[in-house]
Amino acid sequence: MSDSTSGDLAPPTDPLAAWPNTVRWQRVSDDLIWVELIRLSTVFAVLLGGLGIGWLWTGNRLFGAGIGLAVLLWLWEAWVTVRGVRAWGYAEREKDLLVRHGLLIRRLTIVPYDRMQFVDVTAGPLERAFNLATVQLHTAAAATDAKVPGLPAAEAARLRDRLTALGEERPEGL
Amino acid sequence: MSREPADAAPAPETPPSPPLVEPRHRLHPLSPLLHGAKSLVVIVAALSWQTLGQVGFGRFVGLVVVLTLVAIGLSLVSWLNTGYHVVGRELRIYEGLVWRRTRAIPLERLQAVDVIRPFLARLTGLAELRLEVVGGGKTEAPLAYLTTAEANALRERLLHLAGQLHLTPTAVAAPTGRQLHVVRNQDLLISQLLTPQTFSLPIGVAVVLHQFLAEGASSFIAVASTITATAGIMFQPIRRVFDDWNFRLTRDGSGLRLRRGLVETRTQNVPLNRLQAVTVTWPLLWRLAGWVRLRMDVAGYAGPDQGGSEQVDRLLPVGDPAVARRIVAQVLPGVDLAALPLTPPPARVGWLRPLTRTVLGAGLSEQVFAARHGLLTRHLVVVPYARIQSVRVVQGPLQRLLGVATVYADAAGGSGAAALHRDLTEAWRLAAELADRARAARS
Repeated sequence: MSDSTSGDLAPPTDPLAAWPNTVRWQRVSDDLIWVELIRLSTVFAVLLGGLGIGWLWTGNRLFGAGIGLAVLLWLWEAWVTVRGVRAWGYAEREKDLLVRHGLLIRRLTIVPYDRMQFVDVTAGPLERAFNLATVQLHTAAAATDAKVPGLPAAEAARLRDRLTALGEERPEGL
Repeated sequence: MSREPADAAPAPETPPSPPLVEPRHRLHPLSPLLHGAKSLVVIVAALSWQTLGQVGFGRFVGLVVVLTLVAIGLSLVSWLNTGYHVVGRELRIYEGLVWRRTRAIPLERLQAVDVIRPFLARLTGLAELRLEVVGGGKTEAPLAYLTTAEANALRERLLHLAGQLHLTPTAVAAPTGRQLHVVRNQDLLISQLLTPQTFSLPIGVAVVLHQFLAEGASSFIAVASTITATAGIMFQPIRRVFDDWNFRLTRDGSGLRLRRGLVETRTQNVPLNRLQAVTVTWPLLWRLAGWVRLRMDVAGYAGPDQGGSEQVDRLLPVGDPAVARRIVAQVLPGVDLAALPLTPPPARVGWLRPLTRTVLGAGLSEQVFAARHGLLTRHLVVVPYARIQSVRVVQGPLQRLLGVATVYADAAGGSGAAALHRDLTEAWRLAAELADRARAARS
């Protein structure tokens, strides 16, 4: 398919597996799947509850069909969530941080450590229940998209400290 | 009668012993008056014609005078409590009576300094100094007003201090005040006539006139709304003419100085290493005259999408390609617009972009990453490697079918450059190369 293959780079098998020989991708915690599934299920529980009440109230078969559709959609979304979480990955190379995510639209972000402005670590109640946290790296450019969700708290703290230490070596950010 | 000389003679004029910290400076005493005059317009607009009809002319004037006096009084109070001074590496600004606010602006964060002289301030020889700092959504710390001499001196001082703090060595300082380019006002006028707005104007007027003639009723409201609509359409071109009048670009020390404006003159100082990206734009109609426009991205200037003025980022309002090439060679040393190694994406991208495939292009030169896109209005974005903040590779579902991906080089204060629809293998290599060069350009 590719008509301009270059000699110095092995053609990647998976589009997101960039430089497969040099990069060791780290996956995010599988617990993130549960966090995302609980989030998803809450929405669908409300939806299904509403449809169920409607069905009992009116006895209209359309509500039954709606419930069936919602369940199918739920299963589909759950499948996408599981795959989506497995698609998240990050890699700390010597001089830069790589983050990849997305299934339909695949994204890879490369941030040299010395471009970092600050690091955000956030954890919502659900994430905390699973002892997870999200690390986000900010540069001076608003378009930078370097967010790693679903890191175990200890790993998040380690990553934050490492990024901060690496960023401090070069104070001028712009 | 004789009090004045008596008072003046023994005036001791004891200068205070030089303190460790520079004393606070006040803004110019006329500032409250100018602020008050500015609020006059707001007051009249707020009272509106309706109030004029209700209360009669005499009372209306009285009301306006009272409100203006109140506004001046408030400005006076705020003036009394406003001060600034330079302490070491930062400029500190104090303001507020009830809510006190002290802002310390670290000068190493300084991106650009603007001196603005609105019409009223020009009459009185005053100017406003604005500092652009990265991270501030809006302009930080406008000092309004100072005398022009004070404003210029403070600007020089701040730029000098900021320049000393820059770790990256700038290019060899060019002789001060070397003129790079002056835009002919005639060209500016013609270029703004060659805009879609101007071309659509006769059509709009014709439509409205046709309606009048057809219905035979030319009411006042119809005429007024036509005029209002016309003014609305023409607002942008006219404003550009006013803003970019007498545009001159000067090389000044390690930076650029832009001076422009008809009613309100604006002087912008941008250190060269604060330039994040340069965009060359070929509007469709300008191709008749072979003109281009240059825009610069500076991190401090809030872009139009952030609610800032879109008038601050002009590097060249209008000029032919040779001029653009010369200016770019000056602001990004070693970059030749005409010799950028742009390569088009693979032929199969024609399925995605049948019309623009040949326009699309991207390439790496010695110092910059350049990418071109756009069918009717063509853009060429040039980002120096040292200013790339992050590199992204994005691949949508259709792109995956074709085996292509888009590579973004993000820069601060703008959108950065995007190499659209590159062959996947090339995209990976491009991303790796960009990340490497971005890093190398800093060390």
